Amino acid sequence: MVQGRRYFSRFATLLFVIFAYIFLYVPMVVMVIFSFNDSSVSLSWKGFSLRWYINFFNSPQIIKALQTSLIVASASTIISVVIGTAFVLCTSWWKTSFLNNIFYLNVILPDIILAVGVLSIFTFLKVPLGYCSLIVGHSVIGLGFVVPIVRTRFEELDPELTEASLDLGAGYNQTFVRVIMPLLIPSLIASGLLVFTLSLDDFLIAFFCSSPNVQTLSIYVYSMIKTFVDPTINAVSTCLLVVSSILVLLLSAFKVIDKVIAHE
Amino acid sequence: MNFVRRIFKNELPFVFACPALIWQFLFLYLPLCLIMIYSFVDVEKGFRFLRFTFFHYKEVLNLLYLKVIINSLIIAIFTSMICFLISYPVAYYFSMKVKRFKTFLLFSLILPSWTSFIVQIYCWFFLLQKNGFISFFLYKLGIISDGTHLLNNYFAILIGMVYCYLPFMILPIYAVLERMDKDLIEASADLGANHFQTLRRVIFPISFPGVLAGFLLVFIASFGEFAVPDLLGGGKNVFWGSVIVDKFLIFRDWQSGSSLTAIGVLILGSLFLFIYLLNRFFISFLKKGISYNGAR
Repeated sequence: MVQGRRYFSRFATLLFVIFAYIFLYVPMVVMVIFSFNDSSVSLSWKGFSLRWYINFFNSPQIIKALQTSLIVASASTIISVVIGTAFVLCTSWWKTSFLNNIFYLNVILPDIILAVGVLSIFTFLKVPLGYCSLIVGHSVIGLGFVVPIVRTRFEELDPELTEASLDLGAGYNQTFVRVIMPLLIPSLIASGLLVFTLSLDDFLIAFFCSSPNVQTLSIYVYSMIKTFVDPTINAVSTCLLVVSSILVLLLSAFKVIDKVIAHE
Repeated sequence: MNFVRRIFKNELPFVFACPALIWQFLFLYLPLCLIMIYSFVDVEKGFRFLRFTFFHYKEVLNLLYLKVIINSLIIAIFTSMICFLISYPVAYYFSMKVKRFKTFLLFSLILPSWTSFIVQIYCWFFLLQKNGFISFFLYKLGIISDGTHLLNNYFAILIGMVYCYLPFMILPIYAVLERMDKDLIEASADLGANHFQTLRRVIFPISFPGVLAGFLLVFIASFGEFAVPDLLGGGKNVFWGSVIVDKFLIFRDWQSGSSLTAIGVLILGSLFLFIYLLNRFFISFLKKGISYNGAR
């Protein structure tokens, strides 16, 4: 009886897991498959074609949106990693949790409030919206991830390693380059990749803070869904999907996701 | 090199920390204050005439907007409950039963939620649209007549929300269950508890902080959601996020938009406090229970 029940519980939880996988993957798989469909009606399969991908790469608007997305993502990555790392290096002696809590709000607040905030400050200061506001908004979100990740790594560093290096005759400079940097760089790259991914994926901040002539790719996809449904969206979405998946794969190589989980 | 030595001696000037602090205060805390101020003053002709007033709150606190906020609370509760019901067994299975390829399987589970948000919504849009994949199958099965729109209803919004936020619930629960001492289950079985009792008395209390964390993440995110109701709900169901967007981007009514934002922040803040206190209370309660049993 007990044995039977145990099998039941194992079977039931397994059922939930299978359901979760199906639920999460079927929509994406269907969408990707139909991006190769040679028909402009969404559900009538007419054979394999790369028509919509060619459409995608021939459309100057989409390419421009893609460029904007990449520029914004790289700029906000650089800003948040540089100032976040500088902050961590300077305040490593401050052992209170207060400094972490300053950056806690960036992660926990809903995006819409951050977006309204950035919009209101830019309007208040009479700075026109555009690249500036997008980069600022994304780097504010990024800072909330960079600081905890880099700080955790920096605190994990064994001070005896630097001492040993100094004892063995290496100068400060050499110790920094040969000992500290190799230990710190993975976390810098990881947090940078994370900010880049978040910036590419973000919708709400871009929705509030972009001007009509500076639009990110997610805004463009949004307006495409809103106005007309053409399988080019499928092609664009598939490409976005592939790019983010590659980024996430890289992230997992740096084990950053575990850290984010632990942080949250 | 002077700079490098200063890092080691922890005496780097505080100036280097300032960019991050300035960034944070200028673009996060100052805007939040600005929103608060906007919600309490009357502004006329470019900040020339400022007057303290509760008018915007009075304007916003009527039945219509209250209904919108309650609507948002309800969908947030539904989303987090459904996410909890699905993700608890999944997290349980992953932490207790899976031995091989654990990292890979878990990674593939959270991969979809790290891809572009708008693409995730579009996937469901594509599935649910008129003559889409699902309506096609339901038609073949004879459940619905041809060409039924499966979009633009409450159910579609709920599916989209659960789809986007499911991993945010799985991960915290999994993290707690994974750290848990598995011998406790055996001990509980040895002491005569059956499976359900072990789950209720041992496993669930231990995982409770994770459940609270996941609940908080999903609730906050789905409360402020705009894109899912907008794309999958078709404007029939109005939520707090969509009203904020309307106020700021369409009507340009900054004052009442700000007061609505302030109300939302207040609700989320009090929820955060409530969950924080609940967690504290729960932990102290657990400790008391243990010491009580020990004394006996």
